[in-house]
Amino acid sequence: MFPLDSSWNISFAGCGFLGIYHVGVASCLLEQAPFLVHNAKHIYGASAGALTATALVTGVCLGEAGASIIEVAKEARKRFLGPMHPSFNLVKIVRFMLQRTLPADSHQIANGRLGISLTRVTDGENVVVSHFNNKEEIVQACVCSAYIPVYCGIIPPTLQGVRYVDGGISDNLPHYELKNTITVSPFSGESDICPRDTSTNIHELRFTNTSIQFTLTNLYRISRALFPPDPMVMKAMCKQGYNDALHFLKKNGLLNFSDPHIDRALQGNREKHEDQVDYVHTDAKGVGEDEKMHMVDGPLTVHPSIEEHIIVRLPPTLHKALIEACTERRSLVQSLSNLLPFRMASAMMLPYTLPLESALSLTLRLLEWLPDVQEDVGWIQEQLVKVLQHVLRQASKSITQHFSARFSCQLELHHYQSLPSQIRSTSLYATWVGSGTLSVQDIFTRLDQYKRQLLSGTFCVNMDLEGSFQTGSMSVDKSSASFLPAEGFPTHTGGLSDSKDAMRHFDSDLPLINPGAHQTNYYQF
Amino acid sequence: MDPTPSTPAPAAFQSDCETGPGSVWGWWPSWRPTSMSLLKATESKILNCIQNNLWARFVTLPSQDRIWTLTLTNKTVPKPAEQDSKMPLVMVHGFGGGVGLWIRNLDALSRSRTVYAFDLLGFGRSSRPSFPSDAAKAEEHFVNSIEQWRQSVGLENMILLGHSLGGYLATSYAIQHPSRVSHLILVDPWGFPERPQIQSHENQGQTTELVKRPSPPRWVKAIVSVVSLFNPLAVIRAAGPWGPGLVNRFRPDFKRKFEDLFDDDTMTQYIYHCNAQPPSGEVGFRAMSESLGWAKRPMLQRIHLLPSSMPLTILYGAQSWVDSSSGDKVVQVRSPARTKVLLINDASHHVYADQPEKFNRVIENLCNSVN
Repeated sequence: MFPLDSSWNISFAGCGFLGIYHVGVASCLLEQAPFLVHNAKHIYGASAGALTATALVTGVCLGEAGASIIEVAKEARKRFLGPMHPSFNLVKIVRFMLQRTLPADSHQIANGRLGISLTRVTDGENVVVSHFNNKEEIVQACVCSAYIPVYCGIIPPTLQGVRYVDGGISDNLPHYELKNTITVSPFSGESDICPRDTSTNIHELRFTNTSIQFTLTNLYRISRALFPPDPMVMKAMCKQGYNDALHFLKKNGLLNFSDPHIDRALQGNREKHEDQVDYVHTDAKGVGEDEKMHMVDGPLTVHPSIEEHIIVRLPPTLHKALIEACTERRSLVQSLSNLLPFRMASAMMLPYTLPLESALSLTLRLLEWLPDVQEDVGWIQEQLVKVLQHVLRQASKSITQHFSARFSCQLELHHYQSLPSQIRSTSLYATWVGSGTLSVQDIFTRLDQYKRQLLSGTFCVNMDLEGSFQTGSMSVDKSSASFLPAEGFPTHTGGLSDSKDAMRHFDSDLPLINPGAHQTNYYQF
Repeated sequence: MDPTPSTPAPAAFQSDCETGPGSVWGWWPSWRPTSMSLLKATESKILNCIQNNLWARFVTLPSQDRIWTLTLTNKTVPKPAEQDSKMPLVMVHGFGGGVGLWIRNLDALSRSRTVYAFDLLGFGRSSRPSFPSDAAKAEEHFVNSIEQWRQSVGLENMILLGHSLGGYLATSYAIQHPSRVSHLILVDPWGFPERPQIQSHENQGQTTELVKRPSPPRWVKAIVSVVSLFNPLAVIRAAGPWGPGLVNRFRPDFKRKFEDLFDDDTMTQYIYHCNAQPPSGEVGFRAMSESLGWAKRPMLQRIHLLPSSMPLTILYGAQSWVDSSSGDKVVQVRSPARTKVLLINDASHHVYADQPEKFNRVIENLCNSVN
């Protein structure tokens, strides 16, 4: 029994085009247990889950939402390369659809209730946004949350002045850890509402908090998350979402059993729809013969249980919308272009048509990009500088490490002669860098400073070691190795009064100097 | 539980630990940042939480394999004789685990009776022999090691508890050595249901039902057939230095389940070190399973061989991916009076770690029902 005495949340996992599953779940919750949705404290979502969460909070017709997703999927499937075709602009389509469907006052309804999971670009941390100033910000948050880098584009979009990308990268199932969160995921695993595959696989993965079991069907689902399947398959997924949600409600005793008996009119209405559906099914079978072929076989068919016999129908509005989205525009042109010769011809023409289409869509995108050019270019510059700095820092760090390692090696062999030669090598190194820019030079001189400290430190340690070797036994040697570095360094840093920055660098390098002490730790137990 | 180390008899930890074969490549840095001594160090960090008397040692079997065994007794029991008279509880961990995963249960369960926990042959710190590739022989190998372990430890009877793969092996053991098991407890056992057969096309009326479940395309099947050529956890080992990060990234739930005991990566490190060693028990598991995790010899076909007088309790996590309907089938096969199926709410596959208090209470009650 789900604890209804305290507050609860609903969380939708990110899943790309499988978001249609969420629509099925949401419509079931709305129809069978509306209080569960209306009284939920927060409704969270990441990526595609964010779209459903937004629709659920703002009260958008779910049929319309489902139809939109199928529409997008159809758009993606239209081209030869699917969603990778240059003229397919997912961000633009999603933005347009959201702006069309969301009510004008949606930000007032959603404030504080809707939580959208985002990944901040600068540090990769997860952010759950739940405050929106206007409708535009909700749309932008949804776009950000669904913005898979590279797949959707290169330059991440901004929300309230901060750049974000897909929330699924950092947290695909926001606040799943709370006991009172109903988690919804289209991948079978250990979420509250998820498909129940009959499998006994022991392996389970957690993709940023979403539990995904390692099964055949899940592999298929993952492959379909970014490359949408046939609309009929998507409709089946929606239906499965409805069934799984119903299963969850039944298991937790949240289902209002008296409900179906009250409105018989609705039932009659449903039956009528069912007839329609059957007709469409046969129609679809006639058209997609090959599709049926590879859908029927396979060991993954589930024995139809008693539950599935009771309810296998989606709510009429949703059903109707989905059916329309699936079957419309089966025009003569399309059926002609589906014929084998035409498909072969288009595939063969691809080398010629693709550059043309790419150029066209590129210019279109450039034109659309014009208003944001200045901002984005500034950001790119900033990022490039940061990356360069990071690379330089890493490189110089590894160089110093290399030098100090070699130096101490030499030291052990003959510690009197090696010191002058080492200084010569570092001065050479500094003059080589001297031709660089001012800031780079600055970094290297600073590096040089603390390297010298560091070297004197290791030198001292090695000298001490040498001394103990000569005088004491093995046990003395071991103890000096473990505590001498820690004792030796502070005096040296104190002696050479240096800038705080160099100190920080020095501290961070400390573990690298004495790997010997680390190794002894493991065996001390 | 207080994490302060109560010095659980340091002498109990045997100092010997197996290092790799002293070959000429001994100086070569390992691709995987793991070793038996690292596993030992991580495990000791976990076992430091135990407050009752802990005796940890290797039990050497007649086959020269060594089984890492923990024995827990209550420190403050009034009369030791009373504890001796109680039936001991033996805990068998699941696939890829080890004794460390029971950390939230060992103390509570050892309050009234002696508790034994051991690393299965080929897992954790136990020896890692080569396993036969035949399903029945591999299972036999596991079961024999348990029986030999029992003889070496000197137990007459026991309450046997198994989780996941351990549940499968415990059932198999109980079928072969029924006189030794006075109560069988299975926690989310693996390998019970039979693999559904490919349906023939005779039932044409069901086609609309079947259309809803599209079978994956051929390339997915191809990937699966390639993957099944490797050992289940080969990825972790192949990843080398990135292995620990991989475990952390894809199994953060282990860290979370134990976060009130350890605020660092101790648990995920433990899991990593348990499984980054050369595979052995994994090979045995692979031999017993087929096609992504179905058992080659499903337990539901054999459960009737279990003597009907033996009490059997099956615990399932309500949110677990393990299908609890096979528990109901077991009840149908066996006499309902001696078989119980319990569902623990808000618990995933790792029931004992998700709901330790509830789990411990249930097990305690079950054990008390024995004596």
